[in-house]
Amino acid sequence: MRSRNLLIGSALAVLGATSLAAQAPASAPRAAGAATGQARPNGVKPAAARTADGKPDLQGVWTNATITPLERPQNIKELVLSEEAAARMEKAVIDRRDRLNEPSDPNRTAPPQGGDGSTGAAGNVGGYNNFWLDPGDRVAVVDGQRRSSLIIDPPDGRLPPLTQEARTRQAARAKAAAGRGQYDNPEYRPLAERCLLSFGPTTPLVPNYFYNNNLQIVQTPDHVMILMEMVHDARIVRIGGTHVPKHIRPWMGDSIGHWEGDTLVVDTTNFPPQQNFRGSSENLHVVERFRRADATTINYRFTVDDPTTFTAAFTGEIPFRAMNELNYEYACHEGNYALANVLSGARNEEKRLGTKQEK
Amino acid sequence: MKKTLGGFLLVAGLLIAGRTVIAHHAFGAEFDPNAPIRLQGKVVRLEWVNPHTWIHVEIVKDGKPEIWMVEGGTPNTLLRRGITKDTVAVGTEVIVDGYQTKDHSLKRANGRDVTFADGRKLFMGSSGTGAPRDGSDPTEGGTKPAPKKPGGR
Repeated sequence: MRSRNLLIGSALAVLGATSLAAQAPASAPRAAGAATGQARPNGVKPAAARTADGKPDLQGVWTNATITPLERPQNIKELVLSEEAAARMEKAVIDRRDRLNEPSDPNRTAPPQGGDGSTGAAGNVGGYNNFWLDPGDRVAVVDGQRRSSLIIDPPDGRLPPLTQEARTRQAARAKAAAGRGQYDNPEYRPLAERCLLSFGPTTPLVPNYFYNNNLQIVQTPDHVMILMEMVHDARIVRIGGTHVPKHIRPWMGDSIGHWEGDTLVVDTTNFPPQQNFRGSSENLHVVERFRRADATTINYRFTVDDPTTFTAAFTGEIPFRAMNELNYEYACHEGNYALANVLSGARNEEKRLGTKQEK
Repeated sequence: MKKTLGGFLLVAGLLIAGRTVIAHHAFGAEFDPNAPIRLQGKVVRLEWVNPHTWIHVEIVKDGKPEIWMVEGGTPNTLLRRGITKDTVAVGTEVIVDGYQTKDHSLKRANGRDVTFADGRKLFMGSSGTGAPRDGSDPTEGGTKPAPKKPGGR
């Protein structure tokens, strides 16, 4: 394995050194800023730093990538994992990645006719290589605790049950969707597929467990901007004031903030019907709390409340870790062949079957 | 093996619980499970674009050249490891297995597994912070370093 890494590293050096020198960001030692108190290339300041108007400085590029899931797996009872259990989990993730890095048989044939049995987004055709993914390899650590779930309340770490109203609403949506061809119109396709919003939620800032779980925070006395790398979703938080009237429904809701001591509290309502978090409605209400924990960490806490969807409010915590990297552009429309492929694929199937496809 | 089974189940539970989101788009809606393909040929172009990278591969079929477009993932994760579209030279021979688009008039497929001609993966996977695991951070997991950034330290 080691020799293969070296081999590939050498090959990369030969093939790409010239262009990389110009395009790749500087690769400074990762802990340099934290150790010396110097400004880091990602803009993250020391923990005690203040902005010009005297507020805690949350600015810089952060990642919320983690292997800790939103909900606690059914077979784990406790919120806090032992050091050994957390190490086992992290090792398993690394081992799996190393296994997937192993060479394939160069004499392999085409995959099976009828599909390869893969599920989820890979949809029976297998998706793409693991090397494209960057889901994180660490358990979330908050206040020194290694966490088994991001949700801390309810105490079982699970989402509260849906209300009857929510179940009825979901059934009605499914029925409406079934009554039309989901590939008939680009506007029937999901927002992420149309490059409008990320496939992870914009509020709260929960990781997508795939890639690009990075965000940049910029502060002024009047506003805080949170720019997510995925689909360049930029949330603009007004400091002070009140929410806009109920009939105004911005894509990512309406966020207003205030400071409680050294914690930034952001209150978001007015979500549009196209957005939802785990089945939520337009009544979704999210309160987020951002607090600098140390030189390289923001403790992020969120509370989700939607009485028309969830039988109780729930709260989670996620560590945002400083990155020594920059956010990269995610020019989603630029190469979005997929949307056209999906639609033209449906037209092809209609022709082949001699009928309009109803799915 | 038995010793690690408990840990494995624990981790499997975490991983499964974490994978409840959909990707940028459902590959099952784009590609045809009844049209499996295996391509072997030379890279002629890389589109290092979001939401998904496309690698153009020229193969020879019945004595005639054909160019296929192969869909990968977001380039951002590789860019963060110092890998750009110039990392794989035009002319590099690759093997691809995947499925053709449902629109059979297009010579496009998903890159279910993209390797060099000897079977090595085209790139090496990394994970975690978005930064390469270069050993400078003692708290980072894993036993094997990711490929270093070419031209870097």
